[in-house]
Parts: sequence; C-alpha cells; structure tokens
Amino acid sequence: MREPVKQTPGTDPTQPVVEAEDVHKYFGSLHVLRGVGMEVQRGEVIVLIGPSGSGKSTLLRCLNHLEKLDRGRILVNGHPMGYREVNGRRVELREREVAKQRRDVGMVFQQFNLFPHLTALENITAGPIHVLQRKKEEAEAQARQLLEMVGLPFKAHAYPAQLSGGQQQRIAIARALAMNPTLMLFDEPTSALDPEMITEVLDVMLKLSDQGMTMIVVTHEMGFAKAAADRIIFMDEGRLVEEAPATQFFANPRHERTRQFLSKILH
Amino acid sequence: MPGWDWNAFGRYLISGYLLEGAWTTIWLSVVVMVLGLLLGLVAAIMNMSKSPVLQGIAKFYLWIMRGTPLLVQLIIIYTGLPQIGIRLNVVQSALLGLSLNEGAYLSEIIRAGILSVPKGQFDAARALGMDSSTLMRVIVLPQAARVMIPPLGNNFNGLLKTTSITSVISMEELLRRGQMLIQVEFRVLEIFVVAALYYLVMITLWGMVQRRLEAHYGRSVAPATTTERRSTVAPDSGNGEGAATAVERREMEHDLR
Ligand SMILES: Nc1ncnc2c1ncn2[C@@H]1O[C@H](COP(=O)(O)OP(=O)(O)O)[C@@H](O)[C@H]1O
Ligand SMILES: [Mg+2]
Repeated sequence: MREPVKQTPGTDPTQPVVEAEDVHKYFGSLHVLRGVGMEVQRGEVIVLIGPSGSGKSTLLRCLNHLEKLDRGRILVNGHPMGYREVNGRRVELREREVAKQRRDVGMVFQQFNLFPHLTALENITAGPIHVLQRKKEEAEAQARQLLEMVGLPFKAHAYPAQLSGGQQQRIAIARALAMNPTLMLFDEPTSALDPEMITEVLDVMLKLSDQGMTMIVVTHEMGFAKAAADRIIFMDEGRLVEEAPATQFFANPRHERTRQFLSKILH
Repeated sequence: MPGWDWNAFGRYLISGYLLEGAWTTIWLSVVVMVLGLLLGLVAAIMNMSKSPVLQGIAKFYLWIMRGTPLLVQLIIIYTGLPQIGIRLNVVQSALLGLSLNEGAYLSEIIRAGILSVPKGQFDAARALGMDSSTLMRVIVLPQAARVMIPPLGNNFNGLLKTTSITSVISMEELLRRGQMLIQVEFRVLEIFVVAALYYLVMITLWGMVQRRLEAHYGRSVAPATTTERRSTVAPDSGNGEGAATAVERREMEHDLR
C-alpha cells in the first residue's frame, strides 16, 4: 500500500494545506472568482458544489496555478502558489519554479486527460521518471502498487483507449498519486462516466480519504459528500456562499440559493 | 550528335561521378531536414508564445522565407553577402539557405501538430509538474507526431528535389554533376534521363521509408476515445504515396494555416 500521506519537511502538521485570501479571477471582462477565501487543514476532505459556471473549476485551477490570479493570494503548504513576494508585492515565479510547486498538488480532471500514447503504467510513471528523475524500475514498482490500490493490477500495459471511462479515471488518480502529493484536487471526476462506473471511482476516492489524503472535490455525488466530506462548500457566482459539515449542510442549509440548488440536485 | 546512345546511357547509369552527386543530394537533404526541423520547432514555439516580441520575430522569419523564392535567398546568401563581408562557401551557403527556407515551412507543420494535441493534455502534464520542455518532449510532440509525420514526409520528398536549386550556386549535387558532365560529354538526354532516374529511385525509396514511419507512429496511439476529441487543425494529408510535387507541398502548407 501507499506510504502515509507525505508531509513537507519542516512544516508542522497544523500548517494548513491551503490558505486562499480574497482570490479574484477575470476572463477578459468576465469576473469569475469574486473574492474567494478558504482554508483547508491537513487531512480534510472538502466537497465543493455549485451551479455550472459558478467558478468551481477555475478555483481548482488557480490552486495549482493552471490559471493566474488577478488579485489575492493562495498559499499551499504555506508557500504562495505561483508567486514570490518581494517587498509586499507579488512577482510571478518562473515557469520552472511553478512546475516544481505543482508536484505537491495532484489533479484529476473530468475528462481524465490520460496520455493516449502511453500505457497505463507509463502514464503513472511519467511524473516520477520525467519530473522527479526517479529510476525506471523504482517508478514502475511504485506504479504497480498504485495499480493495485485502484484495483487495476492487470491493466499495466493497456492503452487508455482500451480502457473504460471508469478504468481511465482510476488510472488518472493513480497517475496523480504517483507524485506523492500533499493535496489532491478532483474536478467532477465522475461527471463524464456512465452511471455503472461511478462507484468504482468513488470507492478509490473514499479509500484515499480514509488514508488521510487532503482532498478538494468538485462533485455532485452527494453520497460521496455524506460519506467522506468534512465540510461542504457551496459556490455561486464566484463566491463561496455557504459552508458546513456534511450533515448540517443537507439538514439545514442557511441560504436560499443553497436550498434551491440542493433541491435541484437531490432529486 | 543525334540519336539515343544506349552505351553512353549505360555508362552514365553506373558513373561514380553522378552517383557522388546523388549522394550529395541525399546527405544535403538529410542535414537540411534535421536543421530545418530544429529551426521549425523553435519558430513554431516562438510563434505560439505569449510574448509579442518572440511571436513577432517568428512571424517576420516566416514572412521573409515564404515570401521570397528560394533561388533569390540562395543567391543573396552566396553572392550577395560577401559584399558586406560575410563569406560563406558553397556548402555553407546551400545548408544555410535551404535550412532557413525549410525551417519556415516545417514550422507550420509542427505548429499544426502541436495545436492538434488537446488542451487537456497540456493541463494534465503541467499538473504533474512538467516544465515546458519536458511537456513538449514527453507528452506533446509524440502525440503531434501522428499528425505531423505524413506532411513532414511529403516535405522531405519535396526537399530531395528542391536541393537541385543549389546547382545555381554550384553546389555539386546530382543536377549540377549532370550539367558538368554534359559540358564534357555533350549527351544531354542520356545524362538528364539518368539524373531523373536517380531522383526517382531516391523518391521511391523514401516513399517506402515514409510508409513505415507512418505505420509506426500510428500504432501506439490508439484511436481517439470519446474523451480525447482531437481538433482537426491539420488535415491528414499523408497518403504515403510520397509523390507530392514542390507545388503541392507548398499548397498543402497553405491549408495548414
Ligand atoms: N479559459 C476560459 N476563458 C474564458 N472564460 C472561461 C474560461 N474558463 C472558464 N470560463 C468561464 O468562467 C466561468 C466559470 O467557469 P468554471 O470555473 O468552469 O465553472 P464551473 O466549473 O463552476 O462550472 C464560466 O462562465 C466559464 O464560461
Ligand atoms: Mg467545472
């Protein structure tokens, strides 16, 4: 099995994994994130819900600097993501340094985005070999453990096109885990799947949360939210409108928007 | 000297002098292709960069190289530059002129290839912590290869023939050797038919290589899945025939934009 969730050397376990303050993001004139603030503690599982277009994907993509911020800041494990602070001003990091920071943050996409020219095993070892400069044998040994963990030990040499959607997504999770991230981001990981494949992916995610992985999950699978989420956050029009522990969130939503949204997705 | 002379034809067919010329054509084409690919890759990446300066340089380069005849470029390099103190010998001039020219056309093929790779692939590679060069080398270019190999192959086919233009700056490739032989032997038809046959053999052999390359690069990349929709930036222009003319390849280039 996987080694326990890694802690960045020199950081204390009470250091939040994510600290976001007043995050703003524009696409042209479209104001997509309108002052988002959040804190995620080590080992927490956050489920992020909200209507389509509310900015959930954009927020996740800001957390690993796939998108630049226009205002505010995001710290991951205490370090400003994508930026360096010089005399109180932020300067964007060079591409190589951003790449280094991203090693700590795994991401799983709605469309899987497996590398189609590589086998399942090669997808999983791509990061360790080409980013962490690990030896091939070492990377493959770890990849086989991960294949075991996601329940696909016999698919090492299959190409993505030969795998079902659910299998592809489980390989994608293994690929992200191979970097030993401290934080895992999931952007609607089951939305592109046929219903019968959703559970196999959610099961892997549940297993991961049991192992203490820090996770931010955008999903409308409320079963998963109830089972795994420490907190549920409702996002609407670029703001975090409401957050609560799972039980409380469903039983007793405070805002009208949240209630409306829940009534739509719970039936 | 009327009539067709089979004896002379036979002699020219195995003439070491012409064969050497053919060999020059081959190595010149290969070296130019390699240099052109490097130049083309750099130009393609600059052309797609967010920096307006880099983009401007790349666009200017393409504009010059594709807006003027190769013949003019070669003459400027070999005959014109010495006037301002830059002296390149024949081989250097041929390599420089052809590579610069080829790089411009190849860069558009490479660019189309890179654009054919879905954005999600870039996201996934970046999310793993890959920097741009790793991302290109490990993830993007191998996938782009499938789209790029057919037009690149056609380009090489054209290049084998285009090298004959360097005869004007007295590069001793196949055509030039033929011309020089004619000056001693006066057998225009026999010598040029032999030269043409050599070109045909080179092109035919290349066509075989190209088909293998296409089969190889089409192999591991299994058919696009529903989640890996590919944009259709680059037409699948490779029929593996390897018989596109220089004009055709220029036109094909045009379609790629
Ligand atoms: N790259 C982009 N360029 C322009 N607009 C974008 C881009 N990405 C997202 N948007 C817009 O930003 C808004 C929020 O998108 P997104 O974060 O994907 O929402 P969600 O994931 O909650 O559905 C939407 O209106 C979307 O159209
Ligand atoms: Mg989204």
